[in-house]
Amino acid sequence: MIETDFPLLSLIIVIPLLGAVLAGSIRNIDISKQIAFFIALFTLLLTIFALLLFDADKSEFQLVERHPWIPILNIEYLVGVDGISVLFLPMTAIVTIIAMLASWNAISHSSRFHFALLLALEGISIGIYCALDTVLFFLFWELTLPPFFFLIGLWGIGSQRRSAAMKYTLFMLAGGVTLLLAIIVLATNHATQAGGQIPNDLSFSLPVLLTTPLPHDLQTLVFLLLLFGFAVKSPLVPLHTWLPTVAMEGPAHVVAILVGLKLGVYGILRFTMPLAPVAAVEFSWVLSVIGAFTLIYGALIALQQTNLRRLLAYASISHVGLVMVGIASLNMQGFQGAVFQLINFTFVASSLMLIAGFIQHRFGSTEAVHLGGLAKVMPKLTCFYFLFMLASIGVPGTSGFPAELLMIVGALGTHSVLGVAALFGAILGAAYMLSFTRKTFFGPIVHNYVNQAIDLQPREIILLLIPALLILWFGLYPDYILNINQVSSEAWLSRLITKTP
Amino acid sequence: MDFLVAFIPLLPFIAAAIIGFGNLFNYIDGVQSERITAVIAKSAITLSCLLAIALLAADLMALNSGIFIVGQWLSSGNLSIELNFISTGFSVIVAALFSIILAVITHFSMNYIHSEAGFHRFYFVLSLFSSGMLLLILSGNAAGTFIGWEIAGLCSYLLISFAYDRPVAAINATRVFVTNRIGDAGFILGIALSFYFSGTIDWVRLNEISETLATPTVTVISLAFVIAAIAKSAQLPFTPWLARAMEGPTPSSAVFYGAVMIHSGVFLVILLHPMIEKAPLAMALLVVVGLFTAIYSFIVGLTQTDVKSSVCFAISGQLGLMFLECGLGLWELATWHLCAHAIVRCYQVLTAPSFLFYVHRNPMKLVTPYIANKRWLYIASLQRFWLDPIADRTLVRPINGLGHDLDRFDKNIIDRAMGAPVSTNYTISSLTQLEKNLDKKAQHEIQVEFVRGSGMVGKLFEWIANIMSWFEDRLVLRGIGMDMVGIGSKLGQAAITFEQFILKPRYLVLFVFIVLMIAASI
Repeated sequence: MIETDFPLLSLIIVIPLLGAVLAGSIRNIDISKQIAFFIALFTLLLTIFALLLFDADKSEFQLVERHPWIPILNIEYLVGVDGISVLFLPMTAIVTIIAMLASWNAISHSSRFHFALLLALEGISIGIYCALDTVLFFLFWELTLPPFFFLIGLWGIGSQRRSAAMKYTLFMLAGGVTLLLAIIVLATNHATQAGGQIPNDLSFSLPVLLTTPLPHDLQTLVFLLLLFGFAVKSPLVPLHTWLPTVAMEGPAHVVAILVGLKLGVYGILRFTMPLAPVAAVEFSWVLSVIGAFTLIYGALIALQQTNLRRLLAYASISHVGLVMVGIASLNMQGFQGAVFQLINFTFVASSLMLIAGFIQHRFGSTEAVHLGGLAKVMPKLTCFYFLFMLASIGVPGTSGFPAELLMIVGALGTHSVLGVAALFGAILGAAYMLSFTRKTFFGPIVHNYVNQAIDLQPREIILLLIPALLILWFGLYPDYILNINQVSSEAWLSRLITKTP
Repeated sequence: MDFLVAFIPLLPFIAAAIIGFGNLFNYIDGVQSERITAVIAKSAITLSCLLAIALLAADLMALNSGIFIVGQWLSSGNLSIELNFISTGFSVIVAALFSIILAVITHFSMNYIHSEAGFHRFYFVLSLFSSGMLLLILSGNAAGTFIGWEIAGLCSYLLISFAYDRPVAAINATRVFVTNRIGDAGFILGIALSFYFSGTIDWVRLNEISETLATPTVTVISLAFVIAAIAKSAQLPFTPWLARAMEGPTPSSAVFYGAVMIHSGVFLVILLHPMIEKAPLAMALLVVVGLFTAIYSFIVGLTQTDVKSSVCFAISGQLGLMFLECGLGLWELATWHLCAHAIVRCYQVLTAPSFLFYVHRNPMKLVTPYIANKRWLYIASLQRFWLDPIADRTLVRPINGLGHDLDRFDKNIIDRAMGAPVSTNYTISSLTQLEKNLDKKAQHEIQVEFVRGSGMVGKLFEWIANIMSWFEDRLVLRGIGMDMVGIGSKLGQAAITFEQFILKPRYLVLFVFIVLMIAASI
């Protein structure tokens, strides 16, 4: 671990949180919005600074800050990043900025509270990516619930938004229980291994827990508990039902953050597999079967959707399935492809959801029967939609391609039949995306109100242009991302492979 | 002179980027900037064409070293993909030929597409396609070729749906792209397999290493690439996509399906011939597919009555012959055939619309009596051997049906089992729907229920409590035996429904698939 004196990561976490308070307490709505925006922009600069300070040639945690927090239980305030998590910091900041811009004029009531919540969510999400103490992680993990609850429940677009918010929260709480249980098991195990004194020998810090030996049966328990907790959030079938509901009821920009930041999968990468390496290797086939099942299941259901937002929700579920197959293949290609795809999500899934939001805002619906022929009146929106769609189905030239190629190559190397399932998923992906595009964007204009539609405004073009350019950049030069997490990925893998009996 | 090769695909790409971004930000828009667009596209492809000819000349004078490496593109573990190009031999000849054809067609389209709504879009796609196609031909490794391969397929999609407000065009475009995606899956499989078995995806190295690999390994790799080639070149059973693809504007039909893109399958096979020769099974597949496609296209072509369709089947027939030649090991002949066919067909498709003027007064020739007398053959030919309906029956419909069932399963079973506070998935959009829901609710409430719970646990308790109360109500209070017959018949009905459901072929197939998946992963 490389510690620093300058608390950069803490600043990145705290500034949005303080900004949230500031933006919430200013009376003037316009000023409050602008303050929120500039704080988000400043946070982005800080995260880019963190990325520049980060040394990709070292595999250990960097920019680490360590302070005692609850000394009696040995709980620490411990934050740091490695090659796997560092890229998510700027991505979170970018997604927040984009979501703010997208909702700039769309919020009709209590806008100050809304923008304050978005900022708070940014700080908390970055906290999740940085936290290296399991209790601190759990704190941030649960803290995401209130902002999401209010954002979905207060500014949702569906008539059932309250119950959707409730559903989301209940699901996440259920997942949280098993996470907490696993954290306690890990801490007490450390105490047992170190001499048996509770609470003196407890430990919650991830770097320490990674070196603590864990008996085999406990590994299985911890693995399954953590897997369940994170699978709810990812989501994996059959724990996915909250996502389509939230996608239909919640506000598009919040759903964009929700599908863009795949915190659940990150949890599986960061905690589930490294903390229980033997169990992870043993159960890797279960993971990949669940992944392949989720992949095909999501894609087949997406094929039947008539509503863009539901379609995107199921597409996102299907993509998570592919990422799980990639992770479970336990080789460099699969793992790096999975991390790459997680970074893609922040642009592709969220931008598509935002576009769905723009359509919803203009026509009051994203149902295919209410639309049709959009390409004629909204060429620019169609153009962006098309680009993000291509990235989503992994067409070369966009960042979806290297990620998908790596994951499929990885999967074919380990579980060959599941790799073939992944290929089948890629065909289905093109089928559901393109046939929906055909129904909504192509064809003749059937409804009169479509004729009066206004194409993208400059604000909307700018906010879509940022992810579009990043997609093209990462698609044409994927080595940029791969070089950053190369060393950390090797360390991650060697941990699993050397622990195998 | 190797460095020239990198610029050949790059120039049209830059042109496409300029046109695309210019159009997005309204710098290039409307009829007045048509000239700018055309000049950008034309000069880029003409320069590329000159460079390709220069490269060919340099190659003929033996100035090229064979491979030109630009830099690292992607690296992960032991998989390392460079951006590299082939600068000698067959690839350079084909690149020179195709770039000339592309330049000619870019020039030709200017008048053809003049003042149509999608002028800029057309040139954007054409430039992007030129870039992708030249990358496909010149790339030194499988990933680069695949990038070009997919970009070409995407551009084909965009041009088939050029008149996107016509539903038929949009449907055809989608169908063509998804069909091609099957071939693309074969290509990715080929990339992955060659990486695992030979450790490289550079074409030259792969061909060299294939000498040392065992026959089964080479066969599997070759088969994957051959499937990709067959799909791209519209051989059986993928042939129907070609007829659908004729929907686009004529210059695009000429460039995609007449002269350039359609040949990329044959090109791939010829490029990989040292490896495919080692795999007798792949060779046999080439012979069979090529031969059958040639016969099929010949028979179907006899009864086509419009110029584009008959040209289309002539194309797939000729390509079938090329595959046949490849399968028989006549690589030299196939190469000549490819080049000659590209030139002739480019001319033929470009002149197809004016051809109608030339033959205006001539009566149409009747169908050959040979086929007219054989009624079944005639019908089969008219129906194009029902390939499209067969594909619908065997693939599209079962998959859609499966999706439909899963969707219902997801809504009715999983969503409820998870204990949603309110079933929110059915947002009401009309009054009738609302009334229906109210009706259902009212009916539901008539049934006597002891308690109500939510979620798995809640439902469990609800169940137990309801069963208890039912026992008390029916068995203790009303006496035993009254409802037994009714319950029995209900159970029987449910069992029959379940059995019918499970016996649908798609579930049997799915079951086998799942068993295979699990068996393979353990």
